[in-house]
Amino acid sequence: MSAPAPEVLRLERVGKRYPMGDTVVDALVDASFTLREGEFMAILGPSGSGKSTLMHILGFLDSPSTGQVFFDGCPVASLSERQRAHVRAEKIGFVFQAFNLLPRLTVRANVALPLSYHGSPPADAEARIDRALALVDMTHRAHHRPGELSGGQRQRVAIARALVNEPRILLADEPTGNLDTKTAAAILDLFKELNRLGRTIVVVTHSSEIAGHFRRQLHVRDGRVTEGGAA
Amino acid sequence: MKRLLSGILNGLGEIWGHKLRSLLTICCVMLGVASMVVTTGFMEGFFSGWERSLQEQGGVEKITGSPRALPERQAPLAPASRGFTLDDAEALRALVPTLDVISPEIDFPGARLSRGSRRHEVRIQGVTNSIFEINRYEIARGRMFSALDFADRANVIILGSEVVRECFAPGEDPLGRYLDVAGQPYLVIGVLQHYERLWGTYNTLQWKNKIAFVPITTMATKLRPTDRLNWLNMKARDLSLLRESVDAASNVLAQQHRGLIDFTVTTNEQQLASFSSTKAGFVIGGSAIAGVSLLVSGIGIMNLMLASINERVREIGIRKAVGATPFNIFSQFVAEAVTLSLIGGVAGVGVAVGAIKLLGTVLPPGSAPLLAPSAFVVGFAFSVTAGVLAGIYPAIQAAKLDPIEALRYE
Ligand SMILES: Nc1ncnc2c1ncn2[C@@H]1O[C@H](COP(=O)(O)OP(=O)(O)OP(=O)(O)O)[C@@H](O)[C@H]1O
Ligand SMILES: [Mg+2]
Repeated sequence: MSAPAPEVLRLERVGKRYPMGDTVVDALVDASFTLREGEFMAILGPSGSGKSTLMHILGFLDSPSTGQVFFDGCPVASLSERQRAHVRAEKIGFVFQAFNLLPRLTVRANVALPLSYHGSPPADAEARIDRALALVDMTHRAHHRPGELSGGQRQRVAIARALVNEPRILLADEPTGNLDTKTAAAILDLFKELNRLGRTIVVVTHSSEIAGHFRRQLHVRDGRVTEGGAA
Repeated sequence: MKRLLSGILNGLGEIWGHKLRSLLTICCVMLGVASMVVTTGFMEGFFSGWERSLQEQGGVEKITGSPRALPERQAPLAPASRGFTLDDAEALRALVPTLDVISPEIDFPGARLSRGSRRHEVRIQGVTNSIFEINRYEIARGRMFSALDFADRANVIILGSEVVRECFAPGEDPLGRYLDVAGQPYLVIGVLQHYERLWGTYNTLQWKNKIAFVPITTMATKLRPTDRLNWLNMKARDLSLLRESVDAASNVLAQQHRGLIDFTVTTNEQQLASFSSTKAGFVIGGSAIAGVSLLVSGIGIMNLMLASINERVREIGIRKAVGATPFNIFSQFVAEAVTLSLIGGVAGVGVAVGAIKLLGTVLPPGSAPLLAPSAFVVGFAFSVTAGVLAGIYPAIQAAKLDPIEALRYE
């Protein structure tokens, strides 16, 4: 056995609580786990269990109500908003459950967006955009607007946008929810390939069949995270 | 630099994406700038007219000497008062070197002119050639008076344009012809330039056209046998010598008149002072109007920017989610506000030029606004400033949004 890969993200008793009028909703309770470099992990759980909440915290988009998150061993809470934005722009690719494309921009401009917030825009930006579009087979729709695409096509554009920065960590919230089995399988193969190249990948899914392809699985139920094999 | 450029291009895209809202913002700025430039133009027009009439009355270096009744304490000496005479003019010429023009004048108001069947009543003044300099008259055709005219008390006359119009047929050349003045024939030797400065349909300089001049010696011996002058006007060599000249002239005249203060020596300063204070008042009032219109346009921009942010909360959330820093968002919105107000500023200047040109053709000259280059610069600078200032607050609001909350926003 070789030494374990360096840790990328570590959660310590992370909780997220939303006030809802008189009561509160505990979307996440005492979540503790470590994500290591090069991992290929699925997150499973019923609707409303807290999967997206967890993903947002992993993606620097949301901060926990309790507990701590460490990125490369450094507490995320100590980073300024600007520093967190730079991590989002350069190290993390995020595929939203709701796609979150900008309706007024073309597919190509949407995919290019993260590059425009890059600290030093890469010289091969155009080539990267082309490559990302080709990876999800959306080159032919580059000049369309999201409103002119099907749900599955939008999902693929969202994936291309997450890949364009060649991020260290890819976080995808149900990236295959709107895709037919054939396209879903192609996306899954893409993720596997990226993981083989060293990327750390976390994917939320409802399908235990898809989850079966991942080396590690997390189960979320009522905000509680448990490590597990098959469901 | 490249980032700034892409920010502006991005801003232009957004502006184009919200045509109506952008148009409204641009209109706000445009009206603010246009109203400021036109208001300033009106003031410019008004004051340049006023300044010119002041010039036409002899400018600020002119000193007016006129006879008046003795003051109360000297009233019993009235019989000794002899008013201004040509001797006074000589004394001033000899003793006050800071004066460069001295113009003795004898008035003959309501003098009757006739020529054939034409009759005309006009103010004739007996003058020296100094009158042309001191009251700014110019001879359009013919000549001034000669030394011989004064020595001979010659029957020669110089006519204002209105007198020519009344006494001669159109196209008829008055030079070398004779006119009857109080029954005597006078030779026309010169014709004055026509003066016109319209205020509405009223020519404010008409008084300079309704006049005729004869040599002062002719007036004093033939038309109004008198040695009393109605006016003894002077002009200081330089504005800086004005006070000194007034004092010196008053002293010389008091001495000439053996201490009787039967005259006043005044300047246009008072008029100038009231001109300056009125101008200052107008400038303050005009600036207040302009300030209010800019404030209104600023509020307009701010309101529309805030509305635009409300509408774009999700967009802001998405941009932040893919790595936009608060500063990226802030500069995006400021760039949009600046771009909009720049377009509005240019449009406002265009509208102002159009409005001033149009008003110039519709309004009577004298009340029409003028194109003041400084107003453009100021109006433009202010609009951009208003745009930036009004854009900053909404931009800060946008930069502060939390990405996940923004993404949840419906
Ligand atoms: N901003 C919020 N305010 C209040 N409650 C919230 C908020 N965000 C999430 N929740 C609640 O937290 C819980 C977890 O939500 P989350 O979106 O993480 O679920 P999920 O596992 O992603 O579900 P799905 O599979 O349907 O996407 C839900 O009960 C939800 O109502
Ligand atoms: Mg979810």
